[in-house]
Amino acid sequence: MNRCMYCIFVATLLSSCQKSSPERMIGTYVGWFKKTDSAARAAARDNKINITIEAVERNTMRGRSIVAGNERPFTGTFTAQGEYFQVNAAEPGDDRYDGSFSFLVKPAEGILIGSWIPNKPTATVTRTEYTLNRTEFTYNPDRDLPRSLNWFALYNEDASRLHDIDFGGELLTEDVSRFNASKVLLKKEDVENMHKGDLEVLRNSIYARHGYSFKRRKMRYVFDQIDWYVPVATDVRDQLTDLEQKNIALIKRYEEHAAAYYDSFGR
Amino acid sequence: MTGVYSGISFLKAGALLALVFFSFLMLRISLQYVPYAPDVAFLRIKQDVVHHSWYLPAFYVHVWTSFFLLLPGFTQFSEKIRSKIPALHRAMGRLYVTVILLFAAPSGFVIGLVANGGLPSRLAFCLLAGLWFLYTLMGLRAILRGDVAQHRAFLLRSFALSLSAITLRAWKWFLVFLLAPRPMDVYMVVAWLGWIPNLLAVELYLYYERGKKETGHIE
Repeated sequence: MNRCMYCIFVATLLSSCQKSSPERMIGTYVGWFKKTDSAARAAARDNKINITIEAVERNTMRGRSIVAGNERPFTGTFTAQGEYFQVNAAEPGDDRYDGSFSFLVKPAEGILIGSWIPNKPTATVTRTEYTLNRTEFTYNPDRDLPRSLNWFALYNEDASRLHDIDFGGELLTEDVSRFNASKVLLKKEDVENMHKGDLEVLRNSIYARHGYSFKRRKMRYVFDQIDWYVPVATDVRDQLTDLEQKNIALIKRYEEHAAAYYDSFGR
Repeated sequence: MTGVYSGISFLKAGALLALVFFSFLMLRISLQYVPYAPDVAFLRIKQDVVHHSWYLPAFYVHVWTSFFLLLPGFTQFSEKIRSKIPALHRAMGRLYVTVILLFAAPSGFVIGLVANGGLPSRLAFCLLAGLWFLYTLMGLRAILRGDVAQHRAFLLRSFALSLSAITLRAWKWFLVFLLAPRPMDVYMVVAWLGWIPNLLAVELYLYYERGKKETGHIE
């Protein structure tokens, strides 16, 4: 019993030590990057953002953010506020979308909460707010496209109110969740009877598993809705497995064929 | 009487214009396959069969010869050409029969054996190629023995099947426009829909014509 009490005492001591350590900020935080301006919100949808704190020193820190296929470094300073850390950081300023972050990191809760202000605000690039959760990203081929998602509504019912995305009249159906293209080597028979919209999302699900941050709005719109999707990189091509590369080539072939011939008199 | 006559001419002119329009579209489709390449257009989704030594020769024979089968549509139905320039009718007829019997129908049958869409569409395309060959051969044999009526009936059937190149694609366009079905679902449907209504229309036409003849209402 005494021994047990001792263990608890030491553990509490250690953890309280850690709580004050700024290294505990280091990690990846993911969530919605929410526009606060109502006109900007109406013009374009919010995206998932990844803010990664890579290193801390006495009172300075550095990291990077990835949102909508745009990866930017930032550096800044922080101050301890009890168990929390208040960070003020800026992006280099040589990109037209650069700005500055101000956020509070709560290491014990695994939460990063704050705002971002662009250096050059435009109609769609305005102040944002975010509450992000610490996320460990690992590539996991077992992640399936969820069957429970209402895929059809994504491109069809939602299309009428999403003026910022051009769906091009494409169909997205529950067919898209039939295969895991990172695990199963697809055959012609698997993909030949799929709509172009399904093929496109099926192919991009491979990139999504590797944490690719989509530059294309339509794919961001789809994958941002999926729980396991974490944008961590702007180029994942060298991480694709042989099986994934084969599937991508096969699906692409049918996508291109559908784009050229599906609704035309011809081929 | 003049009214009826001009009505018929309008119909004929419309049919000719439609044939010109769709022949132009078919020519454009055929020209995608010039020059020879193993991986263009439709062949992009036939990569599982192009390695068979017989597939690409059959495919290219089919696409390079079949376009010419639309041309007799401009000459063979004209009473004037048949009576005033019979040599043209015969030349076009020889072209048509030769191309189908030696090239287009056999190659169509061969590529039909591995058609996309599985058994339903394979059956449809092979049956189409078989009937096409058969009707054309019967039409040829009829004229060789001087049976003009049978010659005409069989070559009308044959040409109705030749037009399936157009009607299949038109049905596909229409069904996609109307229902947005899955690509292979629509392919299996048009594999049949492309030629059966054509053939039924000709049979119906021949049936009513026979009826008129028997009751003496034909000139």
